[in-house]
This record gives sequence, C-alpha cells and structure tokens, in this order.
Amino acid sequence: MIIKNGTVYDPLNGIKGEKMDLFIEGGRIVEEAKGEVIDASGLLVLPGGVDLHSHIAGSKVNLGRLMRPEDHRKDPVPATEVTRSGTGYTVPTTYVTGYRYATMGYTTVMEAAMPPLTARHVHEELCDIPMVDKGAFTLMGNNHFVMKYIAEGNWEKLRNYVGWLLKATKGYAIKLVNPGGVENWKWGKNVEGLDDKVENYGVTPREIIKGLSRANEELGLPHPIHVHCNKLGTPGKFGIVVETVETVVAQGGRIHITHVQFNSYGGEDWATLSSAAPEVAKAINRSPGATCDLGQVIFGEATTMTGDGPWQHRLFKLTGNKWYNSDVELEVGAGIVPYTFKPKSLVNAVQWTIGLEVALLVEDPWKVVLTTDHPNAGPFYYYPRVIEWLMSRKAREKTLSEVHKAASSRSTLPSLEREYSLYEIAVITRAGPARLLGLRRKGHLGVGADADVAIYEFREDDVEGSFSRAKYVIKDGEIVVKDGRVVREHWGRTLWVSPPGELPEDAKADFEKYYTVSLENYPVEPEYLPKSEVIPCG
Amino acid sequence: MALLKGVVCPFCGCLCDDLEVEVQDGKILSTRNACPVSRSKFLSHAEDRARPTVGGREVGMEEAVEEAARILREADFPLIYGLSSTESDAQRLAVRLAELTGASLDNTSSTCHGPTVLAAQECGAVKCTLGEVKNRADLVVFWGCNPAEAHIRHPVRYSLTPAGMYRQGKKERFSVHVDVRETRTSKMVNQFIKVEEGKDYELLSALRAALRGYEVKEAAGVPGEKVKELAERMKGCKFGIIFFGMGLTMSKGKNLNIDAALRLVRDLNDYTKFLIMPMRGHFNVSGANEVLTWLTGYPFAVNFSRGYPVYNPGEFSAVDLLYRGECDAALILASDPAAHFPARSVRHLASIPTIVIDPKVSLTTKLARVVIPSAIAGIECDGTAYRMDGVPLRLKKIVESPYLPDREILGRIIERVGA
Amino acid sequence: MEVILNTGRTVDQGVSMERGKTSPEYFEKVAVAFLHPEDAGAVGVGEGQAVRVTTEFGSVVVRCLLGNTERGTIFIPMGPWANSLTSPLTEGTGMPSLKGLKAKIAGAPGEKPTPLEELVKRWRGEVGSA
Repeated sequence: MIIKNGTVYDPLNGIKGEKMDLFIEGGRIVEEAKGEVIDASGLLVLPGGVDLHSHIAGSKVNLGRLMRPEDHRKDPVPATEVTRSGTGYTVPTTYVTGYRYATMGYTTVMEAAMPPLTARHVHEELCDIPMVDKGAFTLMGNNHFVMKYIAEGNWEKLRNYVGWLLKATKGYAIKLVNPGGVENWKWGKNVEGLDDKVENYGVTPREIIKGLSRANEELGLPHPIHVHCNKLGTPGKFGIVVETVETVVAQGGRIHITHVQFNSYGGEDWATLSSAAPEVAKAINRSPGATCDLGQVIFGEATTMTGDGPWQHRLFKLTGNKWYNSDVELEVGAGIVPYTFKPKSLVNAVQWTIGLEVALLVEDPWKVVLTTDHPNAGPFYYYPRVIEWLMSRKAREKTLSEVHKAASSRSTLPSLEREYSLYEIAVITRAGPARLLGLRRKGHLGVGADADVAIYEFREDDVEGSFSRAKYVIKDGEIVVKDGRVVREHWGRTLWVSPPGELPEDAKADFEKYYTVSLENYPVEPEYLPKSEVIPCG
Repeated sequence: MALLKGVVCPFCGCLCDDLEVEVQDGKILSTRNACPVSRSKFLSHAEDRARPTVGGREVGMEEAVEEAARILREADFPLIYGLSSTESDAQRLAVRLAELTGASLDNTSSTCHGPTVLAAQECGAVKCTLGEVKNRADLVVFWGCNPAEAHIRHPVRYSLTPAGMYRQGKKERFSVHVDVRETRTSKMVNQFIKVEEGKDYELLSALRAALRGYEVKEAAGVPGEKVKELAERMKGCKFGIIFFGMGLTMSKGKNLNIDAALRLVRDLNDYTKFLIMPMRGHFNVSGANEVLTWLTGYPFAVNFSRGYPVYNPGEFSAVDLLYRGECDAALILASDPAAHFPARSVRHLASIPTIVIDPKVSLTTKLARVVIPSAIAGIECDGTAYRMDGVPLRLKKIVESPYLPDREILGRIIERVGA
Repeated sequence: MEVILNTGRTVDQGVSMERGKTSPEYFEKVAVAFLHPEDAGAVGVGEGQAVRVTTEFGSVVVRCLLGNTERGTIFIPMGPWANSLTSPLTEGTGMPSLKGLKAKIAGAPGEKPTPLEELVKRWRGEVGSA
C-alpha cells in the first residue's frame, strides 16, 4: 500500500508537516511497497492515536454499564454490514468502544485499572474490543503482598512478586490508586496524606509509592509507575501530587501522574475551590522523568469509576447519585458514581479550566498526554474537542464565556495565550504516549513501525470535526475506517510484559489462607489472549 | 487413573475451585471436597443424556442443527433464553445469534436476581468479593436465603466458619438469619429472626428508621426491641455483610425489597463498613449478566428487533413473553424453563417450535421440536464462569464428550442462519 | 384450608435434579409439599399421603411431608409441581411470583401424586390444568 502525497506529522522522526509518501507491507511501514494507492493530497497523515489511560474493560467498567440503562438508551448503535450493534453513551459496549476509537484514528488503548483477581474478566472484554491493540495496567498500590514486603523491607521478594503478578495477570504496567487508602477503605477509612499509616500493615503511601517505583525500575518495565494520587478530588490537596512526584524523582524513578486535573485543586473547600494547575505544572516541568495525563473535563454526562473506593463514596455523599462499591480481597477496591459536569457549576467550570491549564503550562509536550480519564471526566470520543481547545485560544474563550463567570478568576486559563500546533497535538495524542509506554513500533511512521495510520481532512475552522471522523484509518496495514465509518472489523493484539519474577515461597501459604481461589486457578491462561504481543523489558 | 486438583465446580454460584476429581478411562470415579449436589452432578454426568431429535425422531447432529437454523430463520419473533449453565463463549454467541435473528434474549436471572439488577439500577450496590467476608466480616446476615440447602459450602468456604486474615472462624462472627421460616440455615447461626410473609420491605425500612434513631414499635412481626438490637448490631460491627436470596427477589415487593436492602447497606456505610451480596444460583448466571452487559449494555431482557439492543424487563423477559404468547419460536440454551417457569408460561413454549440445546434430558426437551445434545461445561468442556461475587474462573475439561460444546453448536447455527 | 405457598431449592431437589428430571428419585423428592403437622391434621393428611394443592393458577396432587414449616404455610421444592401453582405475572419486572402465594390444601384420599406425564400433557394443552 502507498499513502501518497500526505502532509505527515511524525514527531518521533522529527517530521513536522512534510509532504511525503508512506509505504506499507506486511502490517509494517517499509521503505518501498506496491499495491493500493491512497491519495492523501491535502490530507493530514499521523501515526494511529495511542490512549494510555482509559476505562474500557473489566468488572468496574461493566458495573458502570449495568447500573446505567438510562445512559445506553440515549445512544443506541445499530449493526451494519460489517459492525455489531451495541450502545453508548458514557460507557459504551465493547464493540462500540473499538469502533469509536478507530473512527477518530486511535489504534492503541490501555485499560488503566485491572484488579488481579478479576484480570480474566478484563481480558475477556479486551477480546471483544475490535479495531485496536490493547493492554491493561495491573493494580498494585493496595496489594497485600506488596505492602507486606515493603513493610519487611524485602525488596527481592517485592520485585519477584511484582514480576510474577504482571505475568499472572498478563498486565502491562504497575498501577497505583490511592496507595494505602483503599486498604483502609476496607475498614471504611482512608489516608489523609503520604505519611499516614495503612491499618495493620504499618506502611505509608509514600513507602508504597517508593517501593513500587523501585521494583518498576529494577524490572526495567517499559512504562513508569502509573499513579492515581492520594486525596484525589479534594480541594487544597494539590501538594500531594507535587510531593508524590518529588518522592519518586528523588530516588531516580520515573512517574506518570494520571488524570492530573482531579488532583490539582487549590482553595480550602468546594466553595473556595481554585486551580492549582500552575503549581502542579511547575513540579512536572522541573522533574525529569515525570509525566502526566490530563483527565480533561467535558461538559455533560460522565460515569465516574475508579479504584479509589473512599473517593467514590465521598462523591456519592456529595451528589446523592447512585453508587456502586466493589472491594476485591487482598488487592483493590472500586467505586462507580454517575456524574454530570455542568458549565454553570462553579466547581465544574474550575475543573474544566484545570486540565487545559496543565496542558498549556507544562512546557514540554512530551510530558503531557491527552485523556479524559474516560469515562470519568467525559467520554473518550470528545478528545477532538479537547484538541480544539488546546489549538485555539478563541475556542477556549468561547467556552469560558459560557461557563460560570467566577471560574475565570480562579484559574490562569484566561491569560494563557499558548496554542498547540499540529505537531504538538501529534505528540500528546500518539508519539508521546507511545514513547511513554515503551511501544517502539507505535506512535511513529518510520520504517519498521506498525502500519497504524490515521489520515484526516483537516479544516482549521472545525478542528473538532476534523479529528472526530478520520478520512482513513489503517490498522496493521488494512484500511479499517473510511470517511469516518468502520469499513472492516479488525482484531488487534493484547500487549503485555513478561519481566523476571517468581511468586515468593512464603506467599503461597498466605494465598491458601486468605484468598478464596486456589493459587493454581489464579493466573490468567493463554486462552484469554488469542492475539498477543510481549513488549520487552529492560 | 488421574486425580485432578483445583477443579472448579459447575453447579452453583459458589464456584468452589478446590474440588479433586478422580478419573479413569474417561470416566469420573469419585470427587473430593464436593457438596452432595456437586458430587451428583459429576458422578451422574453421563446419565440421562439427551439425543439429537427433530419432532421426537432421532436424527444426526447436522439435521438437528439445520432444522434449528431453519426455525430461527423463519421466525418473526424468536426468544433465546437460558445461558446460565454454560460458559461465557457460548453466552457471547447467544448474543450474536439474537442480534442476527432480531430475537429477544433473556437469561435465567430474570427469574432469580433480575429484581436485584433492577434495584441496583436505581441506587447502586455496595459489594465485595467473598474473600473480603472471609478475612474481615464480624457480622454476617443471611436474609431470605438458605445456603444450607442451596449454596451448601458457602458458609464453610466463605461466610460463616472459615478462618481468614482478621477472623479466626465462627466464634469471631455474629450471624443472623432473617426469613419467613426456620430452615437448616437457621440452625447454623446465632440468631433467627422471623419476618412475616411478604413483609421484608417493612422490616428493612424499619431498620433504616431505627438506624436514624426513630423508634420502631413493631415491624413485620418483629418486636421493636429486636429491630433496634439488630440495627445497633449492624451499626456497631467492624465489617458486616448481608447475603440475600430468592426470599427477597421472589416475594411481594420483588425489586422494591432489594432496593430497601441496598439502601439500608448504603446508609450503614455512614457508620461502618457494610456490604451486600446476592446469592446467585446457577454457576454462571453472573456470567450471563456480565456478557450481555458488555455486549449490549443490558444484563437481561434485551430485544434486537430494531437492529440494536433495547432493554425492557416485563416486556422482553421470558416469562412475560411466553405468558402473553408473543414469541413464535424459542431457543433454550442450558436451562430448563419447563421445570422452573410457571406452567402458564410453559404452555406457550409447548405450542411453538422450540429448540433445546442441553446436555441432559430435561422437561423442556420433552416439549421441544428440536433437541441438540451438548457437552457439559465444566466437565466435558472448558470455558469461563463468573462466581456470585464476579470473580471469573476457568472451568476445566475433565473428560471427553461424545457431544459438541454449546459454543460449537451455536457457531454452526449462526453460520446457517447467516447464510 | 387456605395457606401461603412458598417454593424454593432443597438439597434433595438439587441432587435428584442432577440424576435426571425424569428419574423416579426426582419425582420422589420434588412432587412433595412440606406441611405443618397441625395443618396436615386439620385436612386429614398424614406423612406420605396425598394432598391436593390449588391456586388461582392450577392444581396438583403431591405427597405430604410433615415438619419444618410454619403453621398456615406450606413449602414445595422448585420444579414442575410447584410451578403448576405459581403466578406468571411479573408486575413489569420479569420475575414471576414464586413465593408467598395464596393456596388451598385438601386431603386427596385415593389419589396419587400428579405424574410428570400428566403435567407435560397439560403444557401441551392435551388435558385441562386442574
């Protein structure tokens, strides 16, 4: 296949809007090839989008679907000649998830929270998400064995356990959610800061973060530790992000702070909420190895779902909306609460400014990734709207004029003049996240890269529309989307890591005593990854 | 002879995964750790098997599959029902088949914990996995359920007697059974509370009132002091849980009973840690809900006649469709509605072309136009099942089967329906 | 005599179901009703004797077993005999009413428990339901 005459943005190869031809053969980008020609004259050619934080599969996501028939009713999706039926809206069914990602040119997506005990469920759903390559981050920040080995200071056992758990769950990265706080939630409590104790274990969130970062780097995992910080969603607690970043960077680790918007709150309470994006952005700017994704708010319906049980309970108490809680033995918790972001709500308006502010204040686009923490701050298929806000000050001003007026005085957003270039957009939506995930064949269009290509008809007066419906999407060398419609159902690979590590001998006794499944029935069998690829460590 | 360990039991929602099964020459000789029902399922698995038939006449598999496909192709409004006693791949294909034929698709949860789903769709639920209970619970309430008869190893493995991380067995847990009658379960617990027939909602609401400090004189036949005592006990425990069953979902009030229970537990989280869990019956009825939900957005009672999934319990649920005589063909997969539906609904099944895919002779096979025998999931075929708390486990294939797995049969029907 | 009818699982029902629903064991364990001894006495039925149970939705004869139920209530294990009596009305929930139904019991001297074949014939409309 030849993609002819396109305007190519390929940041990893230093290409900034050059007219050139691309050649595809055997699912890869090659030097020279023959075959079908796509005339990309006047079109924008980018690597396929890479989402490194989304909630698309697993028990928590499916509870979000189950509890919201009213959400699906708004968004029925009929079957077509090539696609299956399903429903949206905020938590789409698996097939619809795949189709919608592909339609906007995304070809790789990571599920950001996999409980080890229900990892099979995550993989079952990933198997039913077409179009994209996918993977899942294994939750570890409240794991019994992790906290036990950290309390003992036994780094060898910790490293072994972490390595083993990634293999057992077929996971991609280490995910921490409110480290220590979720274990306390299992007694109805939380932690208040990085140096609070976890009940019965005696360890602190800071120690858990440091320990897992150490294991992460010792194992040479491709992605940094992926952290949902303590005290998320709490006015005045932005300092926890800053401290968390500094703690990890000080010991030479890399750290990714996820959905940073939800943690960058100043003020003293909800009435005085203000943006602390400048402070947080400063910390990211000055810390080598620190990155973040936005968790950008989209006004409208959302379904909040996190592994942060105590936070979800608080959100339920704040809103009175329906609330699912789901605690998993020895490992994790989760909660789900539907939520509506309203432009005329001061809190919501301030939250909206924060994500954009972070994106505009972090100087190096390689340190920022575009997300909405789907479906927490809004559905992923609104990424193009975020792109428009980032590329156009005018678009931001228009939205600012429609939201609660006081938001403008609680955020620096109105004063920010920066507008993202197409090159920078290509960084924060594909090249950056691919590099951050350690996916060497993704996020770029150099020879040897996976032939995952998104081609857009870019119209400056409709940035959102341009990126919402790709003109063509090529996945593994096949045209799967044409003129914004899925024309071919394609099955991607599950990406996972296989670091060294054996389950420590003493863990087996705890397993027998405290779990309700046998150790032999715990690891996810190969049957759950019909197409997969191990991404190398080290 | 081989002794297989870590076998997952494909009977009830407990999905016990510590069974040991002795196999010789493709025959199951014995089981260890299994409850009486499970043992019966393993040891009798080869008995009473269905044969492929069309109109009562024994035929080859091909002919049975072809006839099934023909019926579904020609039907205006087929019903696909069951799904709960098979593995998740077969459940996926049942969804596909429903989509292709514009069918109504329902699983057995509509007659067990459908009302639980309806209530959770109103207010959510505070749930956990069973190990949380084993490790932490100091108060266990069985409400309108009878694990001693229906989930036999539940109290021993998960809820009442096991030693866990912070609880060393039964003496460190206070247990209560609330029901309309004393059963074997009542004998296992510290306290039995008899609720008057059909008045669970009243008692649950009284508990919510008592929690907030209102005085309750009497509720559902339970004296005020006893209501207050239970409310205080719930408030004062460190980690409490309510397990509930058909006593709440099937009796007067149905989903409203569950709604009251879910809200009671929600309220309790203002004071302490409290959770709630439905006692799911069929070994993979949870899986049926999960699979339907991730593929359609809805857990049961889904209709595809518009080309996309539409949800409406009461309209597209099997008992209703059959009672009103609306469907003109049916495919029953891995369940036996003739045995377990009200007879008034069963009659319509007998009057339309019904296809049954089932390992065994069932009462529904006696009414069926087409019977397609299948391998037993979890004994003769592997796959995934979801425990009552949502934990997925891998079912094992222990012995060979002369029959095809459900997923294979459905796959062949789909090929022919699509053709 | 008017009673409240409940239906549900029993161990025997589960075990015999796995042996086969057409097995004699299933018939023996499932075509039964548990009555309080005083209620049984009141309608003149003893342990193992035939009792007729009737609701708005149908009528069957089953074997009486004494004990383990409250006065004024009877229990029939889930299965086709119980379901000859249960209500198909779901009140828009999908869930039929399988517990807490109004029923009448009466002695059925000289009658045998309704055979499975008879129930199948009823489903097929070959005979009436009561």
